[in-house]
Amino acid sequence: MSNTTAPIYRHLDDGPMPTPTILLVEDDGPLRTLTARALRQTGFNVLTAATGAEMWVTLREGPVSLVVLDIMLPGTSGFDLFRRLRRECDIPVIFISARGSEEDRVLGLELGADDYLAKPFSTRELAARVSAVLRRGGNNPTSADFTGSDAVADGRTPESIHFEGWNLSMARRELRSPTGAMVDLTGAEFDLLATFLAYPQRVLGRERLIELSRSRLGDSSDRSVDVLVSRLRRKLQAEGAESPIVTVRGVGYMFKAEVTRA
Amino acid sequence: MSLRRFRLFRRFGLPERLIAVLLLVFVIDVVCNTVLFERANTFELRRDDAQRIAENLVLARRAIEHSAVGERQAVTTALSTAKFSLKLSDQNKRYRGSLSLANLRAQVIEMEPELAHSDLELHLESIPREGNIGGSLRLADGGVLDFRTHARSAWKLSIGRFASLVLPTVLLISLAWLLLRAALNPLRSLVRATRHFDAGPPRPVPEHGPDEMRELIRAMNEMQERIHQSMLDRTHTMLAIGHDLKTPLSRIRLRLDDGEVDPIVRDGINHDIDEMRMLLDSIQAYVDTGGTQIPAERIDLAIMAETLVDTAADRGADASYSGLSSLVIMARPVSIRRALSNLIENALHYGGNVRVGLRKDGGAAEITVEDDGPGIPEERITDALQPFVRLDTARARDTAGMGLGLPIVRKAVRLEGGTLDLRNRPEGGLRATIRLPLAAQ
Repeated sequence: MSNTTAPIYRHLDDGPMPTPTILLVEDDGPLRTLTARALRQTGFNVLTAATGAEMWVTLREGPVSLVVLDIMLPGTSGFDLFRRLRRECDIPVIFISARGSEEDRVLGLELGADDYLAKPFSTRELAARVSAVLRRGGNNPTSADFTGSDAVADGRTPESIHFEGWNLSMARRELRSPTGAMVDLTGAEFDLLATFLAYPQRVLGRERLIELSRSRLGDSSDRSVDVLVSRLRRKLQAEGAESPIVTVRGVGYMFKAEVTRA
Repeated sequence: MSLRRFRLFRRFGLPERLIAVLLLVFVIDVVCNTVLFERANTFELRRDDAQRIAENLVLARRAIEHSAVGERQAVTTALSTAKFSLKLSDQNKRYRGSLSLANLRAQVIEMEPELAHSDLELHLESIPREGNIGGSLRLADGGVLDFRTHARSAWKLSIGRFASLVLPTVLLISLAWLLLRAALNPLRSLVRATRHFDAGPPRPVPEHGPDEMRELIRAMNEMQERIHQSMLDRTHTMLAIGHDLKTPLSRIRLRLDDGEVDPIVRDGINHDIDEMRMLLDSIQAYVDTGGTQIPAERIDLAIMAETLVDTAADRGADASYSGLSSLVIMARPVSIRRALSNLIENALHYGGNVRVGLRKDGGAAEITVEDDGPGIPEERITDALQPFVRLDTARARDTAGMGLGLPIVRKAVRLEGGTLDLRNRPEGGLRATIRLPLAAQ
């Protein structure tokens, strides 16, 4: 029933769309009910599906902003389901897995999932992740819908960003040096670097940096921004070259290297 | 053809091989003796040597036979020289050597035909003392005259005789040694394989050596396979339990968020759920660490260690890093990061502080993780590396975890061909040292 290849997804009507619709695919009945309730309480519209087949049916019935997908489903693996889903559209997906395995996480993110959440999660965690992914998808919730890939491409985060031979993979949250060595970053350092790379050759004040780096720097003081910047600088200097982050006295910092996005 | 014969030999068991060796040695012994006997028989001296022996014997016999019976002993002694010693002996004790020199005898008699009537006997001395050629002849009155002399060209024969005595023995010893070695080699490789046998995939030992050994190796390989299978089963069971427990845990957690639950109770239960999750995660980590499907890649070990220390310090922990600011190695990032993290967390938990150091030492990267805590009792250090062993069982169970922290570290480090060393510092506290091979540049 789900094998139709024709373009079956309805376009969303233009206009304001206040409540994003989340499709939850989870085989465990009680957990499905509880998760759906938790998401509804947070203010989302929630549709549910117990199997991959149900998921396809629901997707064809109406617009969906995001899919929360359990990796272990009866009959078919969430990964396979996800691959098929990606072939047809660019809807954001958050994986949920009972396996805490790092391999699953990496594989999920590598396939292009937008986030990965390990069981057991709390309502707050789930809501935060869903909101973050929706926000990343752009201000217009329709952009993340089945309206074709063109509309989606702009708002989505690029796969990877390059500067001076360095490579920052957004999906895997990984930084690699010009020699290809993996360079570890803390979550806050990653967000800070991503912010710098989003505004190259622009002077950014400390407050602006905190603001742009989203929630992870949320409770940071000016001083801790300085600490983070100096750590980041040291890591980018590890290869011996001059650090691309320069201090602009009295104002803040600037990322002076050229940045290309792929 | 020869290969088939070779295979046939390989199929022989130990007793058959031993008998084969003994047979071979016996045959060689017989051949040696036959050849020597033949050579001795046809042995001829150079003409002047034979002449000398013949003349000396004739003269000595005539002189002794013509002297009075009472003086014979004295005459014999007087005639005896360093190169040609003579001795009278009893007729009943006439000694005949084992290797008689028939041709030489003929040679001598041809030169002095009168010796033909005196029952001349010539042999090769088994131990060349006064001479390498010995012999005896009968005097007219029935006495026996023994003599010994050196002949220049007889040494070859002497060596041959010596060789025929020693060669089979030497051969027997060396063949027996080879045989035993060949038989024990597979055993040795089996012992080695057994020593390296661990939780990893089974590494079958190639079957070779005698039948008994092959059977042993086969049985051993099958045992390895069975153990591996049962460990896999155990692993899968553990993972399945962990996996299945997480769904009900998720339900509990979401039920708690309902809002009707007392906040204190909720926090307590949430804490319990977190602890259970950590236990399940450590099982997962332990099982995952063995997986070699993940390829090694270039990682900056220095930055990895520093990042972990920074993260701990940001949490308010007493953590510091000193050492290289950059060091690239080939390793699996996830498992090495987990290993370092486990050591740092252990140090913080038991010691209250942690100092991480990194330096290059020869062809290896050496990471030290130190704390100022109580350390581990010497006799329990080995236990600490065993999975599911908790060192603080006697104390209150204040530690979350299943005693998998250090085993995970060791597994991860071994996977990269490195070593983990745990040692109490003389100043107090524990020092864990990881050595990892450097990336080939």
